[in-house]
Amino acid sequence: MSATIQVDQLSKTYKVPERKGGFGAAVRSFFKRKYKEVKAVQEVNFTIERGEIVGFLGPNGAGKTTTLKMLSGLLHPTNGKANVLGFTPWELKQEYLRSITLVMGQRNRLSWDIPAADSFLLNQAIYRLSDDEYKKTYKELDELLELEPLMKKPVRNLSLGERMKCEIAAGLLHRPKVLFLDEPTIGLDITGQVRIREFLREYNKRTGATILLTSHYMADVTALCERIIIIHHGQLKYDGGITNLSKKIAPFKLIGVMLAESNSHDLSKYGTPVQNEEDWEKRYIQVKAEDVTRITSRLLADLPIHDITIADPPIEDVIEQAFNS
Amino acid sequence: MRIFKLLSAFFKVNVQMSLAYRADTVVNILLNLMWLGWELLSLNIIFNNTDTLGGWGLGELIALLGVFRLVNTMMIAFIWPNTEKFNQSIRDGSMDYTILQPVSSMFLVTFSRITVWRFWDLILATVLIVVGVNMSAETTTAPQILTFILLAITGMIIIYSLWIILIALTFWFVKFDNNVTILQALMDSGRYPATVYPAWLRIIVTFIIPIAVATTIPLQALRGELSAIQIAVFFAVSVISFFVASRVWKAGLRQYSGASS
Repeated sequence: MSATIQVDQLSKTYKVPERKGGFGAAVRSFFKRKYKEVKAVQEVNFTIERGEIVGFLGPNGAGKTTTLKMLSGLLHPTNGKANVLGFTPWELKQEYLRSITLVMGQRNRLSWDIPAADSFLLNQAIYRLSDDEYKKTYKELDELLELEPLMKKPVRNLSLGERMKCEIAAGLLHRPKVLFLDEPTIGLDITGQVRIREFLREYNKRTGATILLTSHYMADVTALCERIIIIHHGQLKYDGGITNLSKKIAPFKLIGVMLAESNSHDLSKYGTPVQNEEDWEKRYIQVKAEDVTRITSRLLADLPIHDITIADPPIEDVIEQAFNS
Repeated sequence: MRIFKLLSAFFKVNVQMSLAYRADTVVNILLNLMWLGWELLSLNIIFNNTDTLGGWGLGELIALLGVFRLVNTMMIAFIWPNTEKFNQSIRDGSMDYTILQPVSSMFLVTFSRITVWRFWDLILATVLIVVGVNMSAETTTAPQILTFILLAITGMIIIYSLWIILIALTFWFVKFDNNVTILQALMDSGRYPATVYPAWLRIIVTFIIPIAVATTIPLQALRGELSAIQIAVFFAVSVISFFVASRVWKAGLRQYSGASS
């Protein structure tokens, strides 16, 4: 059995109309439109095995959504191949569409004026689910997401977090084998994010579904994904374990020290001082991973140390560095 | 049948949506009762004051009105609300979800919104057709009635295909909200038998604008004025137009998937 998702030299180039600001430019552009080619995705390769949860990271406009849209079948690539569950996504075979789902945090599929339960039943008809199948899946989703109390209110009266739960449930009623999630936690508060995260982890464990998700919240990714793919300016920058990322991209450690006396000592001769907003008591320096032992012993010998910690730099910073490299 | 299951699911959801706002529901019921009263009143006037119009008998006129109402119901109950939804879904991106559902997207775009209030119109249309056909019963034969029904259906298929082509153009132009207005302008010319118009306009109305196909031609079939070849041609035209429409739709989807981001 080959990999669940296989992407080979996938590329997408858009033609975007372009004009300068201003009235005259708008009129000129009406008659003679200039186009600019935007290379949204450039020769990206990766494979994802069944049951993996992979985080897809990159700044805005990096090509994440474009890639997800190609893999779900919405967009034709300009070049390259993709194979998901043995199908070419953009052929839009019904059998394929029945085994995947795309959930976009910023778009609604549920009808605004009626309770989500009514829209769910419509989905049951669309995906040809028998009453038994539907009830079984609904019960499971209800267990994990506590849907029942939300089912009686029209969708417009739900909070954003409640609505997102229903949106995700609506996308999963047909028990897809592959989940493409584009910013599933966007706009949610911390509790909401944690809920969705826990749900996805549990869902993956129970069903063995393969999940590819993009998120702006690093916590989503660090909590859920063992593997991440970083894309920037349409190009693949990194593909691998989340723990290896710091070794590969930023082989640094953070040493935090709390000094017994005044804070006037100059730490910059030991390493690069860095700010840490969560911990005001300690002062932090960044040092190369191989120098940690040497510098730590020097610090302990030279200064009146009250407390000392050694840690990996936060993954956010590492990824930030990866984008900028 | 799967299609009927889907249709009934869509119908249920649309009834649920129509009942979501109570004041709105009450107003809609009153409004539709008023319309029905008005329609019946104007029919009464026609019944009492006219015998012929442009050489058509009263029974035939009533049947024509019935077919017109039928086409009109199709417009108001399906085509308008779905066009509105379609235009909106292109702009807000929910078209993406429509495309990814394992049902023909053309089917979804046709039936996902239904103005359930207009179903009285369907009944009125059927009554008018039955009464009209009955009134002209002395002059008609069973095959004529059958071809009348067949051609009424083919006419609706032609209009439907035209609509699909019009909304599919949105995929190329992104903003093309006038698609309904154009279709409405075409529709209005079908309210009267095509023979009322001068010859040159009749040609446009009959051939360039296929609305006459949906109203006048079935009536001609009822009067036995059409040859077997003509009937076969109209039937073929509807099959071809449906085929062309679904091809244009598919090309539109490809355009959408090639250009959108």
